[in-house]
Amino acid sequence: MTLIHLQDLSKHFKILNRHEGLKGAVRDLFSSDYRMVKAVDGISFDIQAGDIVGYIGPNGAGKSTTIKMMTGILKPTGGTLLVNGLSPYENRIRQAMIMGVVFGQRTQLWWDLPVIESFKILKEVYKIDQKLFDAHLGMFNDLVGLKTLFPQQVRTLSLGQRMLCDITASFLHNPQVVFLDEPTIGLDVSIKAKIRSIILELNRTRNTTIILTTHDLGDVQALCRRIIIIDKGKILYDGEIKRVTALFGAYRTLKLQINDYSDTTLATLRQQLTGQFGAGNGITIAQTEEFWTDVTIDQARARLSDVLGFIMSNFSVADVRIVEITMEDVVRRVYEGALQ
Amino acid sequence: MRAYLAFLRGAVLVGMVYRLGFLFTALGNVVYMVVAYFLWRSIYVGQTSIHGLTFDQALLYVALGSTVFILLKTFTDWGMAQEIRDGTVAVFLTKPIDYQFYTFFTNLGFPLTSLVTVIAPTVILLVFFFRIHFDFGPGYLFFPLSLTLAFIISFHLDYLIGLTGFYTESIWGISITKEIIVSVLSGMLLPLQFFPAAVQQILAWLPFQAMYFTPLMMVTKPGQNVSVFLVMLGVQAAWTAATFLICRLAYGRAIQVLRVAGG
Repeated sequence: MTLIHLQDLSKHFKILNRHEGLKGAVRDLFSSDYRMVKAVDGISFDIQAGDIVGYIGPNGAGKSTTIKMMTGILKPTGGTLLVNGLSPYENRIRQAMIMGVVFGQRTQLWWDLPVIESFKILKEVYKIDQKLFDAHLGMFNDLVGLKTLFPQQVRTLSLGQRMLCDITASFLHNPQVVFLDEPTIGLDVSIKAKIRSIILELNRTRNTTIILTTHDLGDVQALCRRIIIIDKGKILYDGEIKRVTALFGAYRTLKLQINDYSDTTLATLRQQLTGQFGAGNGITIAQTEEFWTDVTIDQARARLSDVLGFIMSNFSVADVRIVEITMEDVVRRVYEGALQ
Repeated sequence: MRAYLAFLRGAVLVGMVYRLGFLFTALGNVVYMVVAYFLWRSIYVGQTSIHGLTFDQALLYVALGSTVFILLKTFTDWGMAQEIRDGTVAVFLTKPIDYQFYTFFTNLGFPLTSLVTVIAPTVILLVFFFRIHFDFGPGYLFFPLSLTLAFIISFHLDYLIGLTGFYTESIWGISITKEIIVSVLSGMLLPLQFFPAAVQQILAWLPFQAMYFTPLMMVTKPGQNVSVFLVMLGVQAAWTAATFLICRLAYGRAIQVLRVAGG
């Protein structure tokens, strides 16, 4: 069953061009110097009930704008948007009953009150039956041991604890679809794992459709069957996660601080690596920040340990870091045609 | 409706968290009333009645005015501007609730929890220290209802100011201006009898007098005919309805700014 249907959806914003300095600020008061920003620029996709879809892209790609349209906060500029057969914007209150929303940067919990009070308020807002309410809280307690947090004031919770409570809150009324906007932002690894497991469990046991926006490729890999990559308001990729992980999961970037770095170092490095690992080795070299040289390796084609060993024995290296490929890299590579 | 009662319950609980703050507000009010006592005593030197009010009536009016001010001052407009500016308003828009009713009930928590702590010191001061003479009459019976309507009108005005947060990043100037206009034109600082007759005529047609002057007069001159009080309540009710409608219209327009221009 198609739960969410987007056809040629767009959202344009009129933005005032602000000028620099005090003079500029005064000018802006009377300015009609606007420019149109196409935050979402004609996107189409369908989401089936029960799916977990990763909606990813770099900062300013249009992710949050799309979510805000799907949740009925923003009015689309053009195109069709149906959630469960209705326009969320025109049927805001009715649609709100069937959806849950978590904005990672904000909380829907009552800051000054114990956690349980917020849940009790939501129970009334969504007219949740007492039995069902108890059952849901019991289930969350089994999953993450939430009960110890109930009497705590929300303001005293850690970011991770608060996020667990926020996610619980958004699932309390057993919605058909839950939108999670950056649910793991700023969290440490162990709490991220907990949040991922709870999301998976809820999706499995209740067949809740989940739309997840994130910066974290780890979230996507752990949760999603399908991902939609968006950038500059347009869809770059929409399909199975497998193809994407097959392509990017194997990438690692070696960040090296090379002693006696000079203008020729990069060229020398490139030459020697080509000599050692062949021409089609999938290794790219770039200098992205001062003193650091990035060597990105496709582990399917060259082993990380081999490359690292080779560089260490041929160059004097002061420091090494190994990082996973970032969202920005993925988008750049998709642009360059990696998924074609 | 149960949802909004839940908000009210939450707001009362929040109010309890900040109970210490009330004590200081009440203390500040006591200081103000002592100053008012000496000020008005000097105004009444050599006179028993000015503009139809005795010293006791004027003092009761002014003391009660500042007390009601504390109950009506919920900072709703500031809270809304904050929610709009930091985007929290988006969270409410994803809930099956009405923003105006939500705001009303969450802001009702403060006056409800502080009702006793704010009113008690005023009564104690007036009865045991200033030893003023109280008139008695049916006005006292109408006072609670009148105060409730005054609260709603005051809320509507704050709510309208809060909505301007959708248009401007700082509502500070607008809010302060409203504060000054209300405190003068509503008769909060000074009984309206002290204004020139022409001004009084104009003020009778504005909603401000319904926020302070009307409920305060019910206690200041409680012995009047019941029909007088019913007319006063009628006018208040009409203003409550009118400002409510304006709020609904204004919200419909203001929310478009967010929905079309983004937040």
